[in-house]
Amino acid sequence: MSTTTAAPTRRQVLAVTGAAGVASVLLSGPSAEATPTAAAAEKAIPTFCAMCGPSAGCGILAIVRDGKFVGIESWPDAPLNHGKNCPKAHAAPQWVYSEQRLRYPLKRVGAKGEGRFQRTSWEEALDTIAAKLKEQKARYGPESLAILSPAHRTYSNYLYRFLTAHGSPNYGHSGICAVQKAFTFSYTLGAQPQPDIDRTNLLMIWGKQPVYAGSSKGSVKQLLDAKARGAKIISIKPTTEPDVALSDVWVPIRPGTDAALALAFLHVIVTERLYDAAFVEKWTFGFDKLVDHVQRHTPEWAEPITGVSAKQIRDVARLYATTKPACIDHGNGFEHAPGCNSAIRAVAILMAITGNLDKPGGDVFSGGRGGGGRGKPLGLQDRYTKEWVDKLVGPEFPRALQPGGEGTSSAYYRIFESVLTGQPYPVRAIIAPGTQPTVSTRGTRNVIEALKKLDFYVVVDVMQTADMAFADIVIPVATGYETDHPFEAGEGWVMARNKVIEPLGDYKSDYEFWIDLGVRMGYGTDFWNGSITECMNEQLKPYGVTQEELRAKPAGIRQPRREPVYEKYEQVFKTPSTRLSKPPYLPQGKVAIYNTTWEDNGFSPLPEWVEPPESPTATPELLHKYPLTFSDFHTSKVYNAGWLRNVPYLREVMPDPTLQIHPETARPRGIAPGDWVIVESLYGVVKVKADVNPGIRPDTVMLLHGWWQGCNELGKPYYPLLRGGANANLMYSTDTKKAYDPVVTAMTSQTLVQVRKA
Amino acid sequence: MAKQLGFYVNAGRCVQCQACEVACKAVNHTELGPRWRRVVNRWDGEFPNVTNIALSKACMHCAKPSCLAACPVEAISKRAEDGIVVVDREKCIGCKSCGAACPYGAPQYGKSGKMQKCILCYTRLDAGKQPACVSTCPGEALSFGPVEEIARRAGAVQPEGVNQPSFVIVPAYRGVKAEEYAEAFFPR
Repeated sequence: MSTTTAAPTRRQVLAVTGAAGVASVLLSGPSAEATPTAAAAEKAIPTFCAMCGPSAGCGILAIVRDGKFVGIESWPDAPLNHGKNCPKAHAAPQWVYSEQRLRYPLKRVGAKGEGRFQRTSWEEALDTIAAKLKEQKARYGPESLAILSPAHRTYSNYLYRFLTAHGSPNYGHSGICAVQKAFTFSYTLGAQPQPDIDRTNLLMIWGKQPVYAGSSKGSVKQLLDAKARGAKIISIKPTTEPDVALSDVWVPIRPGTDAALALAFLHVIVTERLYDAAFVEKWTFGFDKLVDHVQRHTPEWAEPITGVSAKQIRDVARLYATTKPACIDHGNGFEHAPGCNSAIRAVAILMAITGNLDKPGGDVFSGGRGGGGRGKPLGLQDRYTKEWVDKLVGPEFPRALQPGGEGTSSAYYRIFESVLTGQPYPVRAIIAPGTQPTVSTRGTRNVIEALKKLDFYVVVDVMQTADMAFADIVIPVATGYETDHPFEAGEGWVMARNKVIEPLGDYKSDYEFWIDLGVRMGYGTDFWNGSITECMNEQLKPYGVTQEELRAKPAGIRQPRREPVYEKYEQVFKTPSTRLSKPPYLPQGKVAIYNTTWEDNGFSPLPEWVEPPESPTATPELLHKYPLTFSDFHTSKVYNAGWLRNVPYLREVMPDPTLQIHPETARPRGIAPGDWVIVESLYGVVKVKADVNPGIRPDTVMLLHGWWQGCNELGKPYYPLLRGGANANLMYSTDTKKAYDPVVTAMTSQTLVQVRKA
Repeated sequence: MAKQLGFYVNAGRCVQCQACEVACKAVNHTELGPRWRRVVNRWDGEFPNVTNIALSKACMHCAKPSCLAACPVEAISKRAEDGIVVVDREKCIGCKSCGAACPYGAPQYGKSGKMQKCILCYTRLDAGKQPACVSTCPGEALSFGPVEEIARRAGAVQPEGVNQPSFVIVPAYRGVKAEEYAEAFFPR
């Protein structure tokens, strides 16, 4: 991506020189033999890592030498991670001083997609955005604006506030991450439970990667400690990952078939009467209907669908149901299939009928381990009305069940669809803060066409993005190391984000940008008249401190952790929903095995198996041409979604996009380890490197999503978003009838492919 | 020698996150390419009874370093106070004899061609800190200390070798034996 800009000012030259200076320190010879730096010249600032999202909260000591952020040290007192950090945390200075940082606001001067920009001032950038949004609001209504959900979620609050003040319900959520689970668990169990790993005797890791997802925040230590304690560990996932090596049992499930496996587990537990009859009797609704329903979901039925033997299904169901307490650590793996809502409901029912719900060592209702705390909600949700919900351009959840936990939401891809089809009305302006629609959602071709057609596109980010070339205005924001707000909070702690270095460019923070834009739009009374301090103070109210008081305690404020309370069924099963009239999530005040809310809205009240658009059992006729199941990984140890591949120390760990492929699958295709291969589906093609290993189902291949960035320092090129690239989104169906969950709009991550040597 | 320091790896607690590798590079500002520390993976078994075992490896700071013996210009030495093997890059002529001699692949070579490798973060130890790899390890798999002390920890095995590596492992779960580790990761 090339950008032409006006001649840099002196300040910019200095900033660039500063960056280059640090880069040369980082990339030139080792300093091992150099004189150790005197401790006095260094500052160690307790703050939070800012390398990933959606939540954060991993404490670091940021080391500053001569005004430069040079590295991190362990901070043993950090509330969540106790001094442990993942690879990303250590590479932060290379990210902060990257040549790809956006340094000042840009306006497009070339055609959309061409990537020609000119430097502009903050004033002009904000004025341009405000003028356009005001004009569109007057002509097309406020709902013509959509804001896309960022990967880092601490500022979702501000986006919701801006949309509400503006009058648009169209917060565009990705439809593949966390909210699908939170929504469906709430409507089945009253809330989303978390595994009580510290007290369990059996841990079932299902569709989750505990090593890559917040490894330093305790999930790795919890897993290892459970193992050392003698807890049984079962891993349900298509590939062998480090947690599988720790497991007693690996269930190598075919991607996207979790609902079928969970239904078969239910069949075994119900027919063999391995359930907790007392809990079922007292606290569940519709168990008798489940008994009838799952008769046909035998392990033999599930075997060809899931690729897991009937014997293993029986063994694992029995082991899970007869080991007490047992818990399920569930991940995003569930949320990438058209049967997503059924898979989540079936898993929730497993937790309930085995009597593990809200028991020590089971699946407990609590505030979780924290991180990414947002304080007082700022979304102005009390202004929502039925008319408001009706205006949603493409609801993420059915209108009758809106708003969800965060607020009203449209599905990310449906916003782009509206631009292309004009149905039910076209969205005219999209703001993309910290998100990249060309790599973050399905149907990249459609997204690109929509971005070309769209009236007005604004990118807000710290770094050049995959779709920045389509932006009318690009807003550069500070990294979390260059700002002193907001704050992080979790159970029993709250701490300011302490600024590490002065901003390297002409920056505001994301938060300041939204406040400034709000004021510029005339929404000043909703945006603290431009005062970030007042904003922070309001957000901090639940903690009883002001921003100033919090900042006076750089290491934060701690309160002793409360002893957990279990079996809170009376309370949790009455939890009011977030819908307009606030009816409880569970109409019967019991676990919704038979879900009348679903039934009332035209969905199956019991979990059903839904085939992906293509699979060996759904479309066997395709197998002669596309014999392998394809899916993608949601997360990795060194990257965050579609970012961080430009960070050299991280790129060294995973230099190329690789396809996990079994040796028996590679050999007849003449594919050797490290060969470049072409992967082709009905919809798209990617070119990636073969990682030939025995730790994957021989009938399945998998790729990490999010590849587009190059890494200049390592000579790694930028990948095209379309043909010739490694964009997993190209590979899947975008048929809205088949590829998306009708209740929660989860998008399929499964298809059939052929693989050949490039 | 007052004492011999070495690394300890509880292999069953290594989850291959590679935080140790990146922490090592970041704290030593290592150039791109050389890897002073590496997580090495080995697959075991056939699908579906397949697993992998891992080892986080760096310089073994051997009691009898092959690299030291091979160096023609005496650029490699052992620190008297802790046995850490260090290289004087002023003296190093970049002949790579050390790389050929080391059975563990510890010596690394970057653009200058001179040898570089793990120095057990002695500058950090001198400042009262732990090696960067040890302090960051999310699984608490990595540790370090005087070899005779870490070798006494539960389940610890000190692999044999002509160069007497200052290194202790606790083999991984799933019944992987210390000998298998020796075979996989410690070529004779």
